[in-house]
Amino acid sequence: MVANSNYGGSRLENGSILSLTSSVLASPAGEITLTSEQKVYDVVLKQAALVKRQLKSSEDLEVKPDIVLPGSLSLLNEAYDRCGEVCAEYAKTFYLGTMLMTPERRKAIWAIYVWCRRTDELVDGPNASHITPTALDRWEARLDDIFKGRPFDMLDAALSDTVSRFPVDIQPFKDMIEGMRMDLWKSRYKNFDELYLYCYYVAGTVGLMSVPIMGIDPESQATTESVYNAALALGLANQLTNILRDVGEDARRGRVYLPQDELAQAGLSDEDIFAGKVTDKWRNFMKKQIKRARKFFDDAESGVTELSAASRWPVWAALVLYRQILDEIEANDYNNFTRRAYVSKPKKFISLPIAYAKALVPPSSRTSNPLVKAG
Amino acid sequence: MVFSARILTVSHPTTPLCWSHSRCYLNGKLKSNLKWRSMAADAGASSFAASDGSDSLDDKNSAAFCIIEGPETVQDFEKMELQEIQDNIRSRRNKIFLQMEEVRRLRVRQRIKNKELGIIEEQENELPNFPSFIPFLPPLNSANLKQYYATCFSLIAGIMLFGGLLAPTLELKLGLGGTSYEDFIHNMHLPMQLSEVDPIVASFSGGAVGVISALMVVEINNVKLQEHKRCKYCLGTGYLACARCSNTGSLVLIQPVSTINAGDQPLSPPKAERCSNCSGSGKVMCPTCLCTGMAMASEHDPRIDPFD
Repeated sequence: MVANSNYGGSRLENGSILSLTSSVLASPAGEITLTSEQKVYDVVLKQAALVKRQLKSSEDLEVKPDIVLPGSLSLLNEAYDRCGEVCAEYAKTFYLGTMLMTPERRKAIWAIYVWCRRTDELVDGPNASHITPTALDRWEARLDDIFKGRPFDMLDAALSDTVSRFPVDIQPFKDMIEGMRMDLWKSRYKNFDELYLYCYYVAGTVGLMSVPIMGIDPESQATTESVYNAALALGLANQLTNILRDVGEDARRGRVYLPQDELAQAGLSDEDIFAGKVTDKWRNFMKKQIKRARKFFDDAESGVTELSAASRWPVWAALVLYRQILDEIEANDYNNFTRRAYVSKPKKFISLPIAYAKALVPPSSRTSNPLVKAG
Repeated sequence: MVFSARILTVSHPTTPLCWSHSRCYLNGKLKSNLKWRSMAADAGASSFAASDGSDSLDDKNSAAFCIIEGPETVQDFEKMELQEIQDNIRSRRNKIFLQMEEVRRLRVRQRIKNKELGIIEEQENELPNFPSFIPFLPPLNSANLKQYYATCFSLIAGIMLFGGLLAPTLELKLGLGGTSYEDFIHNMHLPMQLSEVDPIVASFSGGAVGVISALMVVEINNVKLQEHKRCKYCLGTGYLACARCSNTGSLVLIQPVSTINAGDQPLSPPKAERCSNCSGSGKVMCPTCLCTGMAMASEHDPRIDPFD
C-alpha cells in the first residue's frame, strides 16, 4: 500500500506512480496506487479527526527547561504587529479582508500568512538562488520547534502563540514545505493529477490551516470532513485561478503550470505558450480550464456557510473577489500572456455587500443539506 | 596556529556554491531563468554531497553557508583567538575585493561577447535617473536638470512680476468675491488694526508657510522612498529578535530547590545563562534579507521582469 501516513516528507520514487483516470489502479506489480485526490483526501480526513480528538492538549508541549524573562508579552504583540505590517505590504486586498475578522482571528491569520510567505520566499524570493535542500530541512526543523513551543525568532513566536491558542495541526505546514521542495525541481506537470498534488501542497494546505482559525459554527450540522474539503477546494480554486492568470509571467521564467496532456489534447505545446499568441485553440483550452476552476469554487461555497458567524463574511469576500479574476481573464479575451487580469476597485467594493449578504445565510439545518451527518 | 594557516591559504575561491554561480553566468544570459534551478539541482546532488563528505575545514566553512540559521550554526569561529579573528577578517575582505574585481571583468567581457554575437541588451542610461522627491514630477537626470532650473526661475520671476507690478496696477483683489484684505477683516468683524499689516511682513509669512510645507512634502516623500527600500520583516535592521530569550540574550534557568532542610535561608536568585539560540546577542539573522536590511525584488518586481 503506497499510502504513507507522512507523505508530506517523502518523495515519490517513481514519477509515474500517480495514475491517470480511475481512482484506484492496480500497477503491473500488483500494488494498489492512489491518485493525488485520494491521497489529499486522506490528509483531510486525518485533519478532521485530529480536530475532533482535540489532540492539542497541554501534555504534548515539551516542558521547557528554561523560562522566558518578563517582557515577552510586549515582544509578542510587537511580533503580531510586524506580521500585520508585512501582510499589509505584500497582500493589500487580503489585508483588507482580514480587517473583517475578529481581532484574535486577524492576528492568527497574519501569523500564518507571514510564515507561508517566508516559506514561499525561500524558493521564489530574492535569495532563491541560495536555496539548498539543507536550508529547507532546517526550515522544517524550525517548524517542528515552533509546534513544540520553542520558536526561533519573533515571527516564529507569533505562529507559535497562534498554534497554542487554536487547534492547528502541523501536517499542512509540512506539506507546504514539501511543495516548495517540489518546486525546486519540477517545472512541468504531466497531467492534472500531478498539478492537483502541487496545488494542494501550496494552496490547499492554506485552506486546511485556516479552518481551525475560522472555526466551525456550533449550530452547523455538517461533518467536519466536509468543511475541511470545502476549505481545500477553495485553496485549490485560488491556486488554479492564480495559475490561469499568470500563464505569461510563469512562462517567462520557464515554467508551465498547465497539464501537458491537456495541452496536447487541445493541440498546443510549450512553444505556443512561450510564443504568447492567443489562438482559437488557446481560447478553447482556457475555457475548459476556467470551467474546472469555477467548479472548485462551487465546491467551496457549500462549506463556507458552515463556518463561524464572524468568519463567514471575510471568507465569502475572498471567494467572491477571487472568482471575479476568472471573469476578468475572459474579459481580456483569454490573453493571459501579456495582460494581467485585474479586478477594478469598484468591483472589489461591490463584492463586500454581496459577501455580507451571503454571510447572513446560516449554516445548514439537519433536513436540507447533503453535507449533513447521516443519522 | 595551524588552524589559521589553513584558513589563510584558501586564496582561490573555488567553493562549490561560487563555482556553480560562475559557471552559470558564463553560460550566458539566455539561460538565466533556469540557471538557479539547475544550480540548485546540481548543487543539491553533486557538490553538496561532495562537500558534506569532505573533512576539509575550509570546504565545510565555505559550503556550510545556509540561509536558514540553526542554533548550531551560530557556534562558528568560537574557538578562535582575537588575533586569529582579525587575520581572518582581513583575508576575507581581501577575497571579497578580488572577487568583485573579477565580477567586474567578467561583466565587461560579457558585454563584449554580447556585442560580438549581436545579442541586444537593454541600454542602460549613461546618466542614471533619480526619481523626483516631489510627487507627480518626472524623474530627474543631469539632462533635464537644466529644464528644471529654467522652469523654476521663470516661475519665480513671473510671480514676482505679478505680485510687484501687475497686481497693484490692476488693483487686483484676490479675496472671496473680489474683496481686499481690508474688506475681509471688515466682513469678519475683527478689529481694523489687523488690516494694516505691512506688505513686507505679509509676503514674508506667506513665503515662509509655502516653503515650509513644500519641504515637509519632500521629506515625507523621501521617508516613503527609503522605507520602500527596507526589508519589511526586520524593518531594515537585518535582524529579528530571538524568541528564546525574548531579545535579552540570557535565559533564566529553573532549578528545583529543596526547601526541606533550608531552614531560614532565603532562596538564592535563579541562575541565568547565555541564550544558546543567539549566542547571547538577542538577535538572529533575518532570512529574507540575509542581514542586509534591504528589501529586494519579489517575483513581480520590474527589476526581475522588466517586460512585465
